Amino acid sequence: MDPIRRTLLGQLARLSAGAALIPLASAANAGINQQPPRREGDPTKRYGMLIDLRQCIGCQACTVSCHIENAAPLGSFRTTVSQYEVAHQETGDVATFMLPRLCNHCENPPCVPVCPVEATFQRQDGIVVVDSDRCVGCAYCVNACPYDARFINERTQTADKCTFCAHRLEAGLLPACVESCVGGARIIGDMRDPESQISRMIEEHRSELMVLQPEKNTLPQVFYLGMDERFITRPTAEPVALEVLDPHGQEMGYEFHH
Amino acid sequence: MNSTIELLAPRYDIAWYPWAVQYFFMIALSYATLWLAAPALVFGRQTWLPTARLALLACLTTTLVAPVALLADLHQPLRFWHFYVHANGHSWMSIGSLVLPLYVTGVIVLAWLAWRPALQARRQAPGMVGFTARWLSLGNTPTPRALLVLVGLGTLVLSTGIMLYTGAEVAIVKARPLWHTVWLPPMFVATGFIAASGLILVLDRVAGERSTAVSRQMLKVMFGACLVAGLVAGSWFLDGINVSAGSVAAAMKSVRGSAEWRGTALWGGLTGLLLFGAVLYLITRPASRRPTLYAWAWLLGLVALHVGWMFRWVVLMDVQTVARHSAGFHHYGIPAGSSGILGIVGTFGLWLTAALLIDLLLPWRQAHQGGSAAELSTAPSTPAHPAPKSAAETTEGAPSHG
Repeated sequence: MDPIRRTLLGQLARLSAGAALIPLASAANAGINQQPPRREGDPTKRYGMLIDLRQCIGCQACTVSCHIENAAPLGSFRTTVSQYEVAHQETGDVATFMLPRLCNHCENPPCVPVCPVEATFQRQDGIVVVDSDRCVGCAYCVNACPYDARFINERTQTADKCTFCAHRLEAGLLPACVESCVGGARIIGDMRDPESQISRMIEEHRSELMVLQPEKNTLPQVFYLGMDERFITRPTAEPVALEVLDPHGQEMGYEFHH
Repeated sequence: MNSTIELLAPRYDIAWYPWAVQYFFMIALSYATLWLAAPALVFGRQTWLPTARLALLACLTTTLVAPVALLADLHQPLRFWHFYVHANGHSWMSIGSLVLPLYVTGVIVLAWLAWRPALQARRQAPGMVGFTARWLSLGNTPTPRALLVLVGLGTLVLSTGIMLYTGAEVAIVKARPLWHTVWLPPMFVATGFIAASGLILVLDRVAGERSTAVSRQMLKVMFGACLVAGLVAGSWFLDGINVSAGSVAAAMKSVRGSAEWRGTALWGGLTGLLLFGAVLYLITRPASRRPTLYAWAWLLGLVALHVGWMFRWVVLMDVQTVARHSAGFHHYGIPAGSSGILGIVGTFGLWLTAALLIDLLLPWRQAHQGGSAAELSTAPSTPAHPAPKSAAETTEGAPSHG
């Protein structure tokens, strides 16, 4: 990607992060593919997450605790931390960049209107959930999410995704990933409450916050602080080696087969 | 930027399996063959009757098989009834789930109406053929032409709904930039017509009709469809070449970044050009040389089917391997089981079974725009081949003819 476009997207990311906070009465795209009405959940709240990348050490404690809390099948992740080796744009110094990824609980979620049976829906508190008893497993939502946040759970054969641990929030607990984060990088809270930690941090860092793929107009509600602009869209990088071979061409790495 | 290395990222599986390709392929053959059957069966153009008979056979068989593949692509196929109790007007897939059963019913009724006079004519035939004819013809009353025209027109309208929803369903997905273009739905339709005319060329040969007139009509349709496909592809490219984000940009990025995509693009382009060139050559030959040359048109039919199927494979399967928020491409190997090769082969097997059963039991070669059994034997439009009259003769037309 050329630097000009990257910068542009960076600015767009910042703008969207700001704009998303104003309760946008949905991007009024009339007709088919419009957002169906929200249901369930507390209408007085709007949950969001702020990820302070300056505090993330890439320990994957969130990945593991989420996996255990939500019993996702091996190889499928509701949240995970992608890691990149990056050269500094000016100095060329090499550093590791961490990108914790999860459902963005978008203000304009592209996965919701596509569901043919309204099994996936957005609650009034902004959390996007799946009714696995209703889901037919058509996987349309999996394809419609630009963030790879959804997968077909091989055990339930239905769509599965991050719920911000809604079951824990309702019990007054923090989501597993937030609870286990070593550096306190993940902050969740009600963005309608001006006194919440997330609201205060958003207020404080408004101009630095970025969201992923802002050009898709999904208005993500997971905000990144300390973000490298090169990672707000699909990163241009040498892809991960899923098969690590020894000098004899034998596989050294271990991968889950599912 | 090349200095960036992805150290850790999950492997993301594809979400739609080859069943989706089979559905999109079968349903495209279905709606396109319906339109090829329409000139004779709905609008009464007698010169198109031999084509319409083959087209109706192709249409009914693909229409019956397509929903099976669609259902199989659901991870919870037994919950298909949720589509009807929890319909969501915001979803193209939901709209499709309402249009599809109506369309399938329309095609079945249309085929029944078109075959009914011939069914009535063989009510006295011995064995299974007679039994099927007596059971299916539902009495001796003549079949009103107006009814056939009405059902035909209704089904044609519904088929445009299928064209629209299958295209829109994929084209609205912003998450996959390669899909997110208005040029995708018309390309599905154009390649659908290429494949459908190809299928009729093949059927014309395999069913032993070997009609030069059918071949010529289908070559002309194929020529037109190739032209439209070329225009659509060209417009898509020119439309997107100057936009830094979008379908064309994503395509260029994929082609630059992957030898496999370069191979696919080259293969697609060359096959399309070859097909177009060959069809152009055949339709411009003088009338005297046509019978000899058109005897080989079925080979082009196979190429056309390949084009129609591969386009859907590349669009639906290969695009899913383009990573969305991680680097590079995901590996996809076609599994051997039902979500892979077995599913692909099985769908074609089911189609062949349907075609053979119809060939054995139903008088598809005498499809007619309504009327009565008596009219059928005197109709001037009876094809060059005498209509089979007995059970033994109806087994003719098995692929052994080829």
